Amino acid sequence: MVEGIWLWLTLFAIGSTTILTRGSFVISGEGARLPSALQRALRYAPAAALSALIMPDLLLDAGAFDAANPKLVAGIVVALAAMRSRNPWLPFIAGMGVLLLLRKGLGW
Amino acid sequence: MNESFKRGAREGVRLMLPMSVGLLPWAIVTGVAMRSTGLSAVESLGMNLIVYAGTAQLGTLPLIAAGAPLWLIFLTALVLNLRFVIFSAALAPAFHGASWSKRVLSGYLLVDGLFVLCADRLLRSDDPHWRWGFYVAPALLCWSMWQVGGLAGVLGAGVFPKDWSLEFMTTIALMVMLMPMVQQRAMLVAALAGGLGAVLLRGLPLRLGVIAGIAVGIAAGFVAERWTEKRRRAW
Repeated sequence: MVEGIWLWLTLFAIGSTTILTRGSFVISGEGARLPSALQRALRYAPAAALSALIMPDLLLDAGAFDAANPKLVAGIVVALAAMRSRNPWLPFIAGMGVLLLLRKGLGW
Repeated sequence: MNESFKRGAREGVRLMLPMSVGLLPWAIVTGVAMRSTGLSAVESLGMNLIVYAGTAQLGTLPLIAAGAPLWLIFLTALVLNLRFVIFSAALAPAFHGASWSKRVLSGYLLVDGLFVLCADRLLRSDDPHWRWGFYVAPALLCWSMWQVGGLAGVLGAGVFPKDWSLEFMTTIALMVMLMPMVQQRAMLVAALAGGLGAVLLRGLPLRLGVIAGIAVGIAAGFVAERWTEKRRRAW
């Protein structure tokens, strides 16, 4: 865990990326067309990044690969809920519900 | 206050109202996720104010929890926020002639929903007062919703028992963001490659696996796009 003054420094570093990206062209005041190769790369960046953060949490248990763990089961339920329903709360309720049921109810 | 500023502000707020209410669940979840990661209430509210970007906040929480080095957290946040460069470039002409402080504030406030709903009309208007109202009023509405929802989540997080694995809310939130993106095949390839890349490369020092995985994912998405294009042409 990053703590204390380092945490605040970290928060400002993360915040600086908000200003750097959102402000980039708005602050300089110049409209621009980005090169198309760059635009396409930027399109894939969020999906790749989100997944790179999600999958280790779903597939690893204490750092080791484990395909049969409660988080993966809960993750599949979340994916189904997010695809099938427009209710913004459902993935959270269903995902947490399944995870708690497996961990607390069944002691997995 | 200028008449056309007020008119712009009213129209912008009316347009933004439904979507800004939709921000509330996100803000609450992000508030709970920050507290469950181990941030204090003050640190969580600070993060909401300083960062004000849901994806970057949720995405960096696992790295903060793991004690990853500062530059790696910065780089990951930068990647998660990169899409805003496209929005910023597209929207820049609407701020032509605005003061520096207005432009900095506008940059900080530029969230996805604002771009989606307002960009088109902003760029077509010739009246700088109307444009400023039409941008800053709905932008502040979104900002308020985010801060209020975040506060509710931060204060409400303590209600749940510690051993409820609430930090899993972060992963759920990231998944809910990812699902609509991967309806497209090349995007799905980018996500699968990025995720599996991060899992397989987890042994790299300094938690570099996440960044390496992201790079693998972007490259895979690129290749998949090329490949589907070529096949379409061959038919």
